[in-house]
Amino acid sequence: MSLKLMADIFINNWPMFMRGAGMTLLISMIGTIIGLVIGILVGIIRTIPVPEKGAKRTLLVIVNKLLSIYVEFFRGTPMIVQSMVIFYGTAQAFGIQMNRIMAGILIVSINTGAYMSEIVRGGIVSIDHGQFEASDAIGMNHMQTMINVVMPQVVRNILPATGNEFVINVKDTSVLNIISVTELFFQTKSIAGATFKFFEPYFIASIIYLIMTITITRVLRCIERRMDGPASFIMAGNQMQVERPEDIVYKKNKDR
Amino acid sequence: MEKVIDVQHLRKSFGNNEVLKDIDFSVSKGEVVCIIGSSGSGKSTLLRCINLLETPTSGEIIYNGKNILDDKHNIYSYRTKLGMVFQQFNLFNNHNVLSNCTVGQIKVLKREKEEAEEIALKYLENVGMAQYINAMPRQLSGGQKQRVAIARALSMEPDVMLFDEPTSALDPETVGEVLKVMKDLAKSGLTMLVVTHEMGFAREVSDRVIFMDKGVIAEEGKPEEIFNNPKEKRTKEFLHRILSNN
Ligand SMILES: Nc1ncnc2c1ncn2[C@@H]1O[C@H](COP(=O)(O)OP(=O)(O)OP(=O)(O)O)[C@@H](O)[C@H]1O
Ligand SMILES: [Mg+2]
Repeated sequence: MSLKLMADIFINNWPMFMRGAGMTLLISMIGTIIGLVIGILVGIIRTIPVPEKGAKRTLLVIVNKLLSIYVEFFRGTPMIVQSMVIFYGTAQAFGIQMNRIMAGILIVSINTGAYMSEIVRGGIVSIDHGQFEASDAIGMNHMQTMINVVMPQVVRNILPATGNEFVINVKDTSVLNIISVTELFFQTKSIAGATFKFFEPYFIASIIYLIMTITITRVLRCIERRMDGPASFIMAGNQMQVERPEDIVYKKNKDR
Repeated sequence: MEKVIDVQHLRKSFGNNEVLKDIDFSVSKGEVVCIIGSSGSGKSTLLRCINLLETPTSGEIIYNGKNILDDKHNIYSYRTKLGMVFQQFNLFNNHNVLSNCTVGQIKVLKREKEEAEEIALKYLENVGMAQYINAMPRQLSGGQKQRVAIARALSMEPDVMLFDEPTSALDPETVGEVLKVMKDLAKSGLTMLVVTHEMGFAREVSDRVIFMDKGVIAEEGKPEEIFNNPKEKRTKEFLHRILSNN
């Protein structure tokens, strides 16, 4: 073990490391985004007020039951097992082999969706009841309330939790090597196999993982701050007073 | 006079607690009606039943000759005809002042953005908040928030405005600015139904005062009658209590 060896392994194999890191980032990013969308949709459906009777009630009750089974199932089983079940299960059931990357994205998405559903539900519950009442009073229906008032606030509030899911996904996509998705862990394993060195490639991989997760955390912090907007606002009307005589002259010249 | 809203035999129970007991009353076009009464007498519940934030247990609410409690009635379009102002303002936290006043117009009434903004600006001007169109709700004081909330409701151009203790959550200094706006609205001929503890406002502005006690309308009449010559013993007691506190 030496720094020289570490450097050599990286220099000789960096395209593989980078491709692996790229794949990891791609799958975990798409998986997190789709997972967030699933979570939001499930959250919206689960908060539809259930009518007291009628066919709509029966339908809603059934859908809600199915959704909680979905959440329970994917939160309650390891992703590594889900990967095997979904990848080999579909192969057996339909006689086709799924594209491994697609399978990876699918697994990460529905897994994240299950967690995000609960996070979104918590986010919706924590929104001040007055926001719903004001939306009702203005004549919005459930969908309009969710899209225009509630979800924008929920998404802002759950952004830290979503970032957390993203970071978890970056690390957890490593289990997809079980179905031979060429993410960072899989690539590292190949490099280790080819060089007969284990500590160095995995150490390099851990550094790459760390760089990815730290960067994601930082970037999300920035987005959070951007979403909060400026601390102060501009008085309308004062903007007009800002117009100086030279601006007016400039405008006149431009018009000519 | 033409009745805008006519409430008949309205009852509302929470579990086995009957909060509204057979309420009959109506609001006519252009009328300003104040509802007074002690805490827990059911004033808010009555207001919230009228725009169906609470579902009445039984009774009828007649609007435009139709009972809106019929199953078929479209409650969403009905609610756009009633503007509601809450004690806690309830501005949309994710929208700035202008957008608070346009989002309902655009999404629910399907108005064009330009038209909606023009209308919103007109009402923001009326409540003295036109300068603040870029501000977010969290950047405003309570009185400013409430004035925006009034403009938001007015922007929907409703037939009736409902106010549920609009000044109760305000600092004493800012109560005046909101009451001033409401007085102007009352003078402009808007139909208003106001739950309030501001007896001065009720006396000065209203055409009719309703005194509620324990889920019933105990007494109603012109403000001079209610405040100067209350007939009911409980009205006298209530007024005595509240006026000696102020
Ligand atoms: N959602 C609810 N569930 C159960 N009981 C309720 C609910 N809302 C109101 N009540 C009860 O109904 C009664 C009337 O309440 P309401 O809020 O209408 O009174 P109010 O006259 O507006 O009082 P205040 O002047 O304090 O606002 C109270 O006893 C209250 O506890
Ligand atoms: Mg009340």
